[in-house]
Amino acid sequence: MISPNPQSESSGHRFQRRGFSFERAIRFFFASNAGLTIFILLLIIVFLLREGLGFFPGYRRELEVYRIAGLEFVDISRKNLTAHEQVTSLLNRAYQAEINGKCLDELLRSQEASALYNTFNDQVGPTRDLILNNPAATTGGDDGMLAVLRANYEAQRAKALTNLPATPHLSEAERQELIDSLRNRPAEATDEPPLVAKLNAAFAAARQSHAEPLQKFRETIDNFETAGMDLGSIVMEMTESVTATKEAIQTADILEKDRKTLLAAAANAKDPIEREKLIADAKAALADKPDVEGPMATLMEKKPDCVKVHEQLATSVGEIFPSLPGSLTQAKASRYLNAAKAAWPVLISDIKATPAKINSWTHTDPVPLSAAFISFLTGKSWVTGGEWQDFYGIIPLAVGSLMIAIVALTIAIPVGIGAAIYVNQFAAPREQALVKPVIEFIQAIPSVVLGFIGIMVFGTILREISTYDSLRWVPGFPIDERLNIFTAGCLLALMSVPTIFSLAEDALNNVPSAYAEASEALGASRLQTAFRVMVPAAFSGILAAVLLGLGRVIGETMVVLLVAGNRIKIPDFSEGIGAFFQPSHTLTGIIAQELGEVPLGSVHYRALFVIGITLFVVVLGINATAHHFLTRTKK
Amino acid sequence: MFNPENLIRKGLPKGYFKDILVRSLLGGITYLMVLIAVLLFGKIIIDGAPAIFTSEFPFVDTEFLTAKNETLHVFDDAKGTRHQLPASKYNEYIEAHAGQQIYNEQTFSYSGGGIAGPIIGTALLTCGSIILALFFGVCAAIYLAEYAKQSPFIHAVRLAILNLAGIPSIVFGLFGFSVFVLAAPVITANPVDRSLLVLPLFIEGWALSFQGWNSSLMAGCATLACMILPVVITASEESLRAVPQGFRDASLAMGGTRWQTIRKCVLPFSLPGILTSSLLAITRVAGETAPIMFTAAVAAKDDFPWEGLANPFDILSSQVQALPYHIYTLAARIPSSEYTQRAQFGSVLVFLILVAMLSFGSMVLRAKMRKKLKW
Amino acid sequence: MKAIHTLIASAALVTMAGAQTLSIKGSDTLGAKLVPQLAEAFKAAGNKGVKFEIAAEGSTTAFPALANGTAQIGMSSRKVKDDERTFCRTKGVYLKEHPICHDMLCVIVNKNSPVSNLTKAQVAKIFTGQIKDWSEIGGAPGAISIYTRNTSSGTYKDWQKLAMGGRDYPSTSLKMAGNEQIAQEVAKNKNGIGYVGLAYSKTPGTKTVTIDGVEPVAANAKKFAYARLCYLYAPEKPTAEAQAFLDFIESPAGQAIVTKVGFIPN
Repeated sequence: MISPNPQSESSGHRFQRRGFSFERAIRFFFASNAGLTIFILLLIIVFLLREGLGFFPGYRRELEVYRIAGLEFVDISRKNLTAHEQVTSLLNRAYQAEINGKCLDELLRSQEASALYNTFNDQVGPTRDLILNNPAATTGGDDGMLAVLRANYEAQRAKALTNLPATPHLSEAERQELIDSLRNRPAEATDEPPLVAKLNAAFAAARQSHAEPLQKFRETIDNFETAGMDLGSIVMEMTESVTATKEAIQTADILEKDRKTLLAAAANAKDPIEREKLIADAKAALADKPDVEGPMATLMEKKPDCVKVHEQLATSVGEIFPSLPGSLTQAKASRYLNAAKAAWPVLISDIKATPAKINSWTHTDPVPLSAAFISFLTGKSWVTGGEWQDFYGIIPLAVGSLMIAIVALTIAIPVGIGAAIYVNQFAAPREQALVKPVIEFIQAIPSVVLGFIGIMVFGTILREISTYDSLRWVPGFPIDERLNIFTAGCLLALMSVPTIFSLAEDALNNVPSAYAEASEALGASRLQTAFRVMVPAAFSGILAAVLLGLGRVIGETMVVLLVAGNRIKIPDFSEGIGAFFQPSHTLTGIIAQELGEVPLGSVHYRALFVIGITLFVVVLGINATAHHFLTRTKK
Repeated sequence: MFNPENLIRKGLPKGYFKDILVRSLLGGITYLMVLIAVLLFGKIIIDGAPAIFTSEFPFVDTEFLTAKNETLHVFDDAKGTRHQLPASKYNEYIEAHAGQQIYNEQTFSYSGGGIAGPIIGTALLTCGSIILALFFGVCAAIYLAEYAKQSPFIHAVRLAILNLAGIPSIVFGLFGFSVFVLAAPVITANPVDRSLLVLPLFIEGWALSFQGWNSSLMAGCATLACMILPVVITASEESLRAVPQGFRDASLAMGGTRWQTIRKCVLPFSLPGILTSSLLAITRVAGETAPIMFTAAVAAKDDFPWEGLANPFDILSSQVQALPYHIYTLAARIPSSEYTQRAQFGSVLVFLILVAMLSFGSMVLRAKMRKKLKW
Repeated sequence: MKAIHTLIASAALVTMAGAQTLSIKGSDTLGAKLVPQLAEAFKAAGNKGVKFEIAAEGSTTAFPALANGTAQIGMSSRKVKDDERTFCRTKGVYLKEHPICHDMLCVIVNKNSPVSNLTKAQVAKIFTGQIKDWSEIGGAPGAISIYTRNTSSGTYKDWQKLAMGGRDYPSTSLKMAGNEQIAQEVAKNKNGIGYVGLAYSKTPGTKTVTIDGVEPVAANAKKFAYARLCYLYAPEKPTAEAQAFLDFIESPAGQAIVTKVGFIPN
């Protein structure tokens, strides 16, 4: 590795051996440049830690305020309220799905007619507005200009009429009628074409008639919704008082910090008048200790009320259950109904368990530093900048990053390794000369360009494809959001293929040619040689290629920032594979999105650095494993 | 009777179809990749070409490449003709047609004019970071290739290079932000409060304050330079090692010192190799967005970096637009419509052409080098 | 008259001082469209020498930038908070507030959505995640996709106060970098809903929803449920360029641009 040195650095004049010499200085200069890499690495670690470590004490304080102000207490009841609301929403959806399912034909017909009308309007809108807004049109002054405008409008209208969406549920005659009415419409008309109005009315009537048999179900839903009212109002009431307490505590914290910054500024101020002013400000900022115990005592007095409301809710929810309809006719509606029914016992047992929780809760339990660690590492929500309480949980972001990596590698591993085997083992030299530069070019495409393609082209195409009826069987189709985990994963696969390809090809190249020669001499076919000899021999190199590809995918920022959809939520795994078609947020994306806008030194700012540290550790771990495999191959 | 032809199997060999199948599958995968690359590039060329190519000589829309970035105004005049004008021309139009009303006005940020600002900003960032990285990287490589012996120090350096190469670019963004933007040293008369450390200098009133360079060209260049340092070191070391040992031995045998040997007999021969491989680093620097988001880039700037500076060095401490960040802004911040397509796809096409030229250049040069340099 | 006076004064200043950079940071609502166009008009009105740098990342970014002196003017779609004001004061910057226009937060849906009116209660329920499906409020069936601004935005917090009674956004909401992006996503998703400033409500493919029957147009500024003021913040003693620019915005010429972009002048 190191070239043998026939002479050491001691060449030069004999006197220069001791002490300073020009040669030594140069050597030292080069050595210090090499040392720069160590310095930079240390600097990265030190500064990430410096900004990041303050997060945990800060977050602990936030969690402490969350407890002593009583927000945690309110959240016990609020959890049930939310669960109740979810069930209400499920029942409502079941009800509406039942009705809409029964008048699906009317619904589709009215939607298609409206869509056609809207498309037409969008296209002729600008030219029509010109006629309507033109002073010549209203005052009747310059008829020549008006004629030009009308001609423009007619031309635009003719164009628009040839460019209308398909209407599979309208009969040919109806479509023709609609198009004719649009063709003969005066420019000034603003009302809907008669057919659109007719179909809308038909849909409304159909809904009305189908709603009647479901009257009882409607009443049940309304009863259920009313049952939660008391809980809602008591939570609302408590929310107001605890928010006030929290604000008081935070204001006191801020004032205390202000006082310190003002005093510090005063200590640095050179101008005596300015200094006096700052000190006076600091004195004014001296805060009273916020009153926590008073509001807390009032809050605790509400405990019996809270318990009572929960007990009532448990009984009424239990009573309502039998009056739910046994089954519904529409598949979607019964799915919602069944989901609601399944949630019912859970809801009741949760509500029943709550009074015990309410009674045992105290605000004096200490919040240890480990609580902040645990809450960060296992927290299922990342809520920032909210009115209620900020939570910094890494799980939704990590899950997003992981799922995108899974999609990307599922595509990139077979493609990258397959291409490497083909190019290395089967391709003619001329093919190699074509494929290699192309893949090298893909590697050179900047990630922001791929993100751009994802947001402008690929996402839309993917959603279009997902709406084809013949693809309904694919889980998760049709896709709701065009920006989702799958879209991002596909683009990242494109990014990681070149990495995996070139490293895997290297690994295959590094297998001694004697292996292949021996195998062929024994009569093995090319295929056997490739898959039984070459690939196993290069296996650890290929594994390293995959790991380095994974490192690249996890660390990539711009594609996921633009394309992953930025929804901070753990995907809904109840949809199975469909979870991969939901939007998500990532570790890298959250830093890029939020760092530019958080106040320096805030808990949120520090949380982003902790995410950065996590990324740093994870990616370095992956790379270290990869290099471990690589060195093993070399040996 | 023995017929030797019986020994030759009739028909196709065993496993022939399997062989064909596997081969065509692997080949199909490979060419699918090529096809996807061609499709991607084709889509961008088709949508972006109208922005930068014209049907008249010189066939390139120079305005798009040389004009400043502005808001685009789209409106109809009273005759129903649709106009698309960047803000400066729009104001001229309004002045020239005072008293006439316009209709259906829409405005699109960042979509009018050209992209000269981002192009120049990217050029500045790239040049600055490459100069820094080449200087430090080549020096470090000289030490590694020419001086170093096995030692804990060298081991640590190699480990550091390996680790630096693997750090995600967004972490470099965080690093650049916390070090160069917030904590790098400046010489100033009035240090700000959040300064990490203030060392008084001996000139009256001045002090060395670790308060950072703010978001600036300088901070961006430094961040990018740190990021590509490992690439440059590795490539340079390879080129240095490619110089035959005999060159060194000959020089040393003639009584040259080690530094003379390096300067006269090693560097000149490895320099082409170093420069060629640094083209690859340039490609990477030009394309990065995450590290400059917080350290150098700004979305809208209505002047070129050198305009209106009191002192030419101020260019280092001002923010710049950059092409990748501009593309991010165009993709994320503005709607896509027929009027913004020119700016969006045009910028991406220009960017891709730049990157393709660099990457193609490095490929050709490398191939040339391999042919030419044979000792 | 005042405008001309200002223009002459600023022109004189510019010729003396050469080009000066005016750095403006803060709200996306103001900074994506209105302020760049004001700046362009300001330069067109004879202030060729002023350089503008405009960064629109969210209202929260305005105040640290003002305090550190990296911005001369801060844009904010909400009032400054006490701690932000104190923070600036500790750095020797005394903030002065310049309300420049009114804005209304419009609820937008896809143009093909049959929903055209919502009550305040429905809006609150949709944005807090209690209503999950359009069919629950009489629309065509489909899961509602909520598009919101990101957390540093003043609009994000204003909306929480004005429309959601201080409750949190559901985790299903998608956080977008700017108004334009929200409008674009809603235009592309037939089940989308979002809120944008009035200036962005005319995006093709979307339509605004009336709230309790009140249409979000300039004439209804007093009646509309989600109306708010937008501010520029500058130090008490701004630089000459900053002062000239602020005067220009308050002049009739500036307010005409405010109207043109789609905000409601003072």
